[in-house]
Amino acid sequence: MKTRLIALVAGLFVLGMVLAACAPVATPTPEEIAEAEPESVEITLWTKEGEADGGLQFVQSLVDAYTEIHPNVTFELVNKDVETLREDFLTAGLAGAMPDLLWTVNDHAGPFTDAGLIMSVDDLFDLDMYVESALAAAQLDGKTWGVPISNGNHLMLLYNKGLIESAPATTDELIAAGQELTTSDQYGLVYNQTEPFWLVPWLGGFGGKVFADDGKTPTLNTDAMIETLQFLYDIKYTSPIVPAESDYDGADALFKEGKAAMIINGDWSLGGYREVLGDDLGVARIPEVVGGEWPHPYTSGVYFMIPDGIEGAKLEAIVDFIHFVTSANNQALMVAKLNRLPALEAALDDPLITNDPLLKGSADQMVVGAPMPTVTEMRCNWDGMKPEMQAVLADTKTPEDAAAAMQTAAETCIANLE
Amino acid sequence: MEFLTWEVVLNALGEVGSTVLYIFAGTVLLELFVYFLWTPLRALSRRVDGWLDPLGDRLRHLVATVLMAVVVVFAVRAIAVGQTPSPWAPYWPLTVVVFGLGLFISPNALNIFQSELRLAYMLLAPAVVGLLLLVVFPLLWELNVSLTNLNPRHFQSPDYIGLTNYLEVFTKPVLKQVTFFPVLLRTILWTAVNLLFHVTGGMILALLLNRKMRFKGLYRALLVFPWAIPQPIAVLAWRGEFHFEYGFVNIMLQRLGLPAIQWMTDPTWNFIAMSITNIWLGIPFMMVILLGGLQSIAGDYYEAAELDGASAWQQFWGVTVPLLRPVLTPAVILGTVWTFTNFNVPFFINQNELETSDTLVTALFRSAFQYFNLGDAAAFAFVIFGLLLVFSVLYIRVTGGLKGAYE
Amino acid sequence: MTATTIPERKQPTAFQRFFRARGREDSPFGRLLIHIALILACVLSVYPVLRVITISIRPGDRLLSTSLAIIPDDASLEAYRTVLVEKEFLVWLWNSIAITAATAVVGVILSATSAYAFSRWQFPGRIPGLIFLLSTQMIPAPMLMVPIYILATKLGLTQSYRGLVLAYSVTSVPFSIWTLRGYYDTIPHDLEEAAFIDGASSLSAFWLIILPLSAPALVIVFLFNFMAAWSDYLLARVMIASERSLWTWVLGVRDFQSQFQTQWGLFAAASIMVMIPVVALFLYSSKWLISGLTLGSVKG
Repeated sequence: MKTRLIALVAGLFVLGMVLAACAPVATPTPEEIAEAEPESVEITLWTKEGEADGGLQFVQSLVDAYTEIHPNVTFELVNKDVETLREDFLTAGLAGAMPDLLWTVNDHAGPFTDAGLIMSVDDLFDLDMYVESALAAAQLDGKTWGVPISNGNHLMLLYNKGLIESAPATTDELIAAGQELTTSDQYGLVYNQTEPFWLVPWLGGFGGKVFADDGKTPTLNTDAMIETLQFLYDIKYTSPIVPAESDYDGADALFKEGKAAMIINGDWSLGGYREVLGDDLGVARIPEVVGGEWPHPYTSGVYFMIPDGIEGAKLEAIVDFIHFVTSANNQALMVAKLNRLPALEAALDDPLITNDPLLKGSADQMVVGAPMPTVTEMRCNWDGMKPEMQAVLADTKTPEDAAAAMQTAAETCIANLE
Repeated sequence: MEFLTWEVVLNALGEVGSTVLYIFAGTVLLELFVYFLWTPLRALSRRVDGWLDPLGDRLRHLVATVLMAVVVVFAVRAIAVGQTPSPWAPYWPLTVVVFGLGLFISPNALNIFQSELRLAYMLLAPAVVGLLLLVVFPLLWELNVSLTNLNPRHFQSPDYIGLTNYLEVFTKPVLKQVTFFPVLLRTILWTAVNLLFHVTGGMILALLLNRKMRFKGLYRALLVFPWAIPQPIAVLAWRGEFHFEYGFVNIMLQRLGLPAIQWMTDPTWNFIAMSITNIWLGIPFMMVILLGGLQSIAGDYYEAAELDGASAWQQFWGVTVPLLRPVLTPAVILGTVWTFTNFNVPFFINQNELETSDTLVTALFRSAFQYFNLGDAAAFAFVIFGLLLVFSVLYIRVTGGLKGAYE
Repeated sequence: MTATTIPERKQPTAFQRFFRARGREDSPFGRLLIHIALILACVLSVYPVLRVITISIRPGDRLLSTSLAIIPDDASLEAYRTVLVEKEFLVWLWNSIAITAATAVVGVILSATSAYAFSRWQFPGRIPGLIFLLSTQMIPAPMLMVPIYILATKLGLTQSYRGLVLAYSVTSVPFSIWTLRGYYDTIPHDLEEAAFIDGASSLSAFWLIILPLSAPALVIVFLFNFMAAWSDYLLARVMIASERSLWTWVLGVRDFQSQFQTQWGLFAAASIMVMIPVVALFLYSSKWLISGLTLGSVKG
């Protein structure tokens, strides 16, 4: 009995090991590459790009192209949705299992620097060659924490030339044109009424900002905010040009179905609308606020961030790869494939942009954009604004009460960050 | 990108196969370990018991308990929180020694190492090891974290702040404005409403189906759909239905001449939307359980009751309900716990992240992952856990639910 | 129950016999009402699924449309084709099947043995053990994710199936043990005692007598483990999310969503395809499930 048992155990172990060895290992083993060349490097790259807008495919092509030129550098490309990426990176940080490189959005810099998980890039790159506003969106405490890849991610006014000839230039024109166009089964304007990202441009137009000059104290209870909320309320109830309830998908569907003349949406949606509307698609700035300014939508983009602790051959490879991706050629490629504006200053003059009316309009909007704050406190602002904005739009709170509530919520949240 | 080639198929099989075999082999090793160590350990415990007998049982229990407490405290403190390893960690072999000491000093050691129990412990060993790793360790880690201020600002080496987090659970707002007790009340309301409809709806359907009829199998199959569908898909489908413009519910309302409802922005209607979805999801489970219970009630009871002149209503309350009690009790406990801790429905239906629609668990999740306030979240989680534990114990006591049906 | 003489029963007519159930008679009208009620319930039960099907055959990523038609005018199976051919959907499905089957097998083994111990022996720590098992059902799942990840990373169990199968099997052990223990309790001890008298050891009594008798319960535990692991997102994300070739269908379908946009058509198509095997399995086993959930509880 005992010998049989022992034999069984031994047999199982052998079988298990044989199976494990036979199963082709999912990741390319560095050993194989190391035998061919000395300094072999494997870079784990986490990207927020998904397949929906072609972003992930683009990153994959960049990675493949680089490996062709430098066969000793291989990549493990993992894509995660924005929220997931942030959560997973922080969790990985706790476990000491961080990836080697991040391709992500600017507001991740806040929490990541708080936790001390990424390194500043001022010493590693010549940052002058990048667009100022792109850099500004990744700067904290005087240091830059990310290398910009694309610039923008901003909202703009997109319109259907089949329904409205040209875009309104001011808010008065917007309301007038909108009212003409709003019938029982058509709307003048649609936008995502649930996210404060769509509120912020108007706030800028009324002269307001979410932070005081120190960049950390919330200033949400201001006249500008009240006026903004009042404006959004007006275009829904007083002089209705927008639907009664509309989230991102709703607005998107209405515009694609031709049931909305104008939509406020971001540069990521350009490709999809271009496909559906073709030449009928027009791009313009969000209309200027009468008695105020041009609205300032938040601009940011995507950035490379390097986790702390990377060094040696790996760091060299990463720096080189970043140079490769942000080189003029690849930036032009990105513009063509993803309809995004480049972060490389020199690439802004590329005829690809200046000759494309859509991209030109997008660039025109970006000029009056404001860099999105990347401090951790910003999240508190977003979370404070969101329910209050929705309450005003649901007509359950006055703009004054909402603004006051936003401020309290943000302050409580910031106090909690400690 | 890979496609389903033979290589991929074999890859997955190999991975899974080797995993299972490793687990199996590990289990067998563990079993052998227990098997061969048993007798020597038993002899040892007899010896030690002989030596320590003069000390008396009381003292020995005391010492053993103290030693075990030390082990637990050590385990909690030695687990690293944040990125820096705990300074206590290298001393873990000591813990094993202390644990052994505590085990043998206790008078219970004799009881544990009886030879008849060897097989029992062998059978239990794999599950125990697994649970230790995957349940006990995480709980201890969370306990540890709940005593610190771990968040992005205190990440590398968080500070120990004692029970502050627990106090703050009750005093500070959970996320922005709403504090603990409103969320608790809302969660209780959520659970009560859902459970009421689950049991009622399930009972009605079970009663309807509890007869010989045509298409019974077909009905049962279709009615079980909500349970069989993977929850995330079901919840997202329902969320679509509550959409203002395009959702089925509003379209029907408008066709009936009623105004469309703002399901996503109005707090009350959002809560109702959540409840409708969860009720739809939960009725099949109750129906299935109650149907099984009904089917096992012998017809004689009803016949006897009829002969005694009982009406249908009296039959229901006098015969059906008491006989269903042993089936209902675990179902209600499980249903309550699962509804209380249900995450998918409140989280995804509450598309606009209305704070007024949060239940305890969704608030916990947001606090933990959106702000990564792990210290607060851990304390919060333990409070929830404590609540549920108290509820279950009370429920079992009050309803005497674990008694048999015939008493 | 009072002792009464049972009066003579009239022999029921064929018509009455057809409708009879458990000594209670239903009138034909009552029968009609019952059928109507059930049909209504079935419609409510199935309709949302039909809507998902509609989304999947509607071209373009249009989640929403004001038309209530189940089959839109421009219906196309494009989404299904894309998901099957251009995405790694089949790989995900295969991964899911492999993981879930392994989980269910391991889970059954782990819990069958442990439940037997709980049922047949009064060992020290038995009651606290049972209470502990019950209380694990009350732990909010997100609470365990981070520490499990940390432990798994330290033990090198991430980005492979090892950690995931282990995690799945173990987390469904408590519920399985409770169910199986209840069932074992209903099997009288006499059977094993007879076996002992015949000279069998405890282990072989378990293997040769108890296990075959408890086959229905084992099937139920197998199914529960399968269902739990099939749709799980949290553990999968924590353990294998960074290794794309190992993704389960849950992780894959999640991938169709990004921050603002979701490829609804693909999402819906994948959802429908995933539902089919689950629903089929579920329906096939619903017989077992019904009898299993009440096993051991009616007897107290």
